[in-house]
Amino acid sequence: MPMVLLECDQDIPERERHIYFKAPGEDSRDYLPAANAPTIPGTLSERGCSFCGAKLVIGGVLKDTIQMIHGPLGCAYDTWHTKRYPSDNGHFQLKYSWSTDMKESHIVFGGEKRLEKCMHEAFDAMPEIKRMVVYTTCPTALIGDDVKAVVKKVTAARTDVDIFTVECPGFAGVSQSKGHHVLNIGWVSEKVGTVEPEITSEYTINFIGDYNIQGDTDVLQRYWDRLGIQVIAHFTGNSTYDACRSMHRAKLNVVNCARSAGYIANELKRLYGIPRLDIDSWGFNYMAEAIRKVASFFGLEEKAEELIAEETAKWKPQLDWYKERLQGKKMAIWTGGPRLWHWTKAVEDDLGVEVVAMSSKFGHEEDFEKVIARGRNGTYYIDDPNELEFFEIMDKAKPDIIFTGPRVGDLVKKLHIPYVNGHAYHNGPYMGFEGFVNMARDMYNATHNPLFRLAAIDIRDDRALLVEEAA
Amino acid sequence: MTCTIESKERGGIINPMYTCQPAGGQYASIGVKDCIPLVHGGQGCTMFVRLLFAQHFKENFAVASSSVHEEAAVFGGTKRIVEGVEVLARRYPELRVIPIITTCSTEVIGDDIEGTITACYKMLAKEFPGRTIHLVPVHTPSFKGSQVSGYDEAVKSLVKTLAKKEQPAGKLNVFPGWVNPGDVAELKFYLDEMGVDGTILMDTGRFDSPMLPDKSLQTEGSTTVEDLQGTANAIGSIALARYEGAGAADYLKNEFGVPCIHSPTAYGIANTDTLLRNISQLTGKPIPESLVWERGRALNALTDLAHMFFADKKVAIFGHPDMVIGLAQFCMEVEMKPVLLLFGDDNGRYKRDPRVAELKKANLDFDMEIVCNADLWELERRIKEKTIELDLIMGHSKGRYIAIDANIPMVRVGFPTFDRAGLQRHPTIGYRGAMQLGETIANTLFAHMEYTKDREWILNTW
Amino acid sequence: MGSKVDDLFDYVQERCLWQFHSRTWDRSENIDGIIGKAIDLLAGREPAADTPAERCFVADAKVMVADFRSRFPWIREASETEVTEVLGGLRDRLTDLAITRSRNHELTHTLY
Repeated sequence: MPMVLLECDQDIPERERHIYFKAPGEDSRDYLPAANAPTIPGTLSERGCSFCGAKLVIGGVLKDTIQMIHGPLGCAYDTWHTKRYPSDNGHFQLKYSWSTDMKESHIVFGGEKRLEKCMHEAFDAMPEIKRMVVYTTCPTALIGDDVKAVVKKVTAARTDVDIFTVECPGFAGVSQSKGHHVLNIGWVSEKVGTVEPEITSEYTINFIGDYNIQGDTDVLQRYWDRLGIQVIAHFTGNSTYDACRSMHRAKLNVVNCARSAGYIANELKRLYGIPRLDIDSWGFNYMAEAIRKVASFFGLEEKAEELIAEETAKWKPQLDWYKERLQGKKMAIWTGGPRLWHWTKAVEDDLGVEVVAMSSKFGHEEDFEKVIARGRNGTYYIDDPNELEFFEIMDKAKPDIIFTGPRVGDLVKKLHIPYVNGHAYHNGPYMGFEGFVNMARDMYNATHNPLFRLAAIDIRDDRALLVEEAA
Repeated sequence: MTCTIESKERGGIINPMYTCQPAGGQYASIGVKDCIPLVHGGQGCTMFVRLLFAQHFKENFAVASSSVHEEAAVFGGTKRIVEGVEVLARRYPELRVIPIITTCSTEVIGDDIEGTITACYKMLAKEFPGRTIHLVPVHTPSFKGSQVSGYDEAVKSLVKTLAKKEQPAGKLNVFPGWVNPGDVAELKFYLDEMGVDGTILMDTGRFDSPMLPDKSLQTEGSTTVEDLQGTANAIGSIALARYEGAGAADYLKNEFGVPCIHSPTAYGIANTDTLLRNISQLTGKPIPESLVWERGRALNALTDLAHMFFADKKVAIFGHPDMVIGLAQFCMEVEMKPVLLLFGDDNGRYKRDPRVAELKKANLDFDMEIVCNADLWELERRIKEKTIELDLIMGHSKGRYIAIDANIPMVRVGFPTFDRAGLQRHPTIGYRGAMQLGETIANTLFAHMEYTKDREWILNTW
Repeated sequence: MGSKVDDLFDYVQERCLWQFHSRTWDRSENIDGIIGKAIDLLAGREPAADTPAERCFVADAKVMVADFRSRFPWIREASETEVTEVLGGLRDRLTDLAITRSRNHELTHTLY
């Protein structure tokens, strides 16, 4: 039974194309969930909009940049205080959000003057900040404000600033994914190659598709430092605007999140001949493999083996302690897309955990090719899941733990299933060797939380109490 | 010493204090039982608001989106409403109300919501004979007002669509505004103590919901279709928030002759006194001894704190306008000085608010500055430029970094308060709210004294 | 030979992201490039690594070949002819899976 029509989807049979159950003996080439397709209205999909894919996921991570959102205040409010990506300069990017606070008169008469005024105000308010990304939103795109013309004007008036424009209203595309695309392509076309970096090593990389969630970037940076590799730009974890303008000077692009940033790696290959090396940064096994590959590119194999041996000696005993206790646990991954394929084998090989259900909000068919190739038989693979499907899948797959966002986490609590934040982590970082120990620890603490055993007891039921006492 | 009121000079926003109207529409709608709002716009307008509610309540709420994609944005999206309503109706058999909440995109495109609702009713009659689902148009373009007016608009539209004149029912409508489950519980306690049969709009009591052995989901609004229908037959309405729900109370007065009192938002002792007197006046029920004791306990607790610890403490308050005004009044009751009040949108009525007028007339022994259409930069800027000195900040969690970076103690109050645990279940209004809020302020100041080693020894003998 | 190709194919499926890059031409370049370098390595030849792209293929191939050697003892004993034949079979299987029969609609977009 390859593609699955769930009970709750009887009235929306087109959902069958999006849900795959991998069974042994089938040729998985015959089946691929439809992905990156329009959402059915009213289904309670979990998808966000393309604006947030650009601003919240990628652009908003830059630690030295004003994020000017040209639209009503909600788009600025909503994409603020919803992420955990710190930086080494006091978390500027977490603290501020800018809006042109568009009102009805601007809708009627145009918002360009308003935008221009707001851009100047923002630079004036924080004179030490010289970089800005301007985003359009649904209404400003619909009324057709010429944002690029305004940017040109402001740049002419302020010679020391640099401004990037992202024209990606929320209704564009079908999910966050469109926003990743627009920002990637815009950045590489307009900004890459406009700053020359200071080269301090003959070994240079860009690390693409990592957003420093709870300090992921810091962990990986320590590895590159140990190997003597200079990271020209992190795209965009803990990164500066100008670092990302100098990406053309790296010798290798190392790609973690191929969904949100594969585009820029492809373009850098096409335009500058920089090869693209895809890696997984989560998991012991994978991390070692990634370090070996990057080191091998530069002929640094010996240093790499030293680093891997040292890190393994330091962290493997702890990982094994958790593996012993997590062995056989069932896990569901209910996140955006790439973490499905990054994690499914990593938790299986390194922790003995079986992933029994996975869903992706904004993954493309490519992501499903990856995850189905890596994932287990007897597992559900779901594109753009909705809330009723979630309940039905939980009932069928019966996971012991779910990696998902806080809202779904609040929901599964009621079903007596612990959740770990699959987007922003519980207590990360989760990347690298130490990171995977953190992830294992959070999984262990979640699956061994005594409150879930207590929640199952009905205090009116004498037998339940007795059983508990005997146990 | 004076109270001045002005508007932010900048056009743009650095750190918004409120989000946009559709969020308010969604907050009002989730207070209704058997109701899933359908937000007509891009998916972010729903996804982020659901996340915001989850951040605040640590609970999940069902909100649907019409998922307006590019084609709908260009050619109109009304088809997606009809489809969304049908999908919801089919997959949620218990559903009785679907508010259709517009956003900036669909208001700019000019989708005809009322016409589409007529089409939806035709479809529902054909596809679901014998079933009644109420569709409520909620016009909340994001480029007008804010979450505050969006909430007001949705409550008004729900009442307008559903209220039905029948026999007088003897119940009292209570419009508390955008409050927490803890506040609703406090109001219900007063109604019970006074023997008043009330309808709370919206009753968010079950937003504080349990984990149960049977794994059932109990997180939902408790205001029923019948409650909303019956609002027309009440003996009166009390609106506790002038900008959040009072519009519905006024409508019931004008349309059905339901007497209406705009009671001051019940922060602090005096405002709660007024509330109880107003309930008593509308219902004819006396204020019982038990509430005299409640009041006395709060006074007793606050008296331990006011002139010893709170007096002369300078406070900045931001958040929903009714709450900010109410908290300012409460602060003055306990001898604190609310030197800066921030309202986060451009509603022109704030400057004419009678409570603000009273503050302006009052003989204050300190300078009070009120800023309308403010963002949180208005607060941060004043602190950074040292044009203001503060002992305390009161407001929601979006202002947390101002307090953290300036090392000013902050009490989280309002919406959202995601960086503190469990605040949604504690009242901030009523006598108990005043007492608990006062004690939270005191404990926050005490912890700060200890953390900064600022006369922490004072507490040695308290 | 079939089962040997199966072994290698299952390994690549589970571990190698390069087979699933964005477009047909990326996938084909990677599959041909990395399998080619792997054949060199397994045959005991130093693979050419003159261009950045080649060095990247070698980096991927080295890790894969090391795993092949540790997981599949037969490959350590295999002759160059057999290696070429089995890896050729692997390349065909991968091309079939990731390109020819891929149901991914984006593979042939002309732009990224």
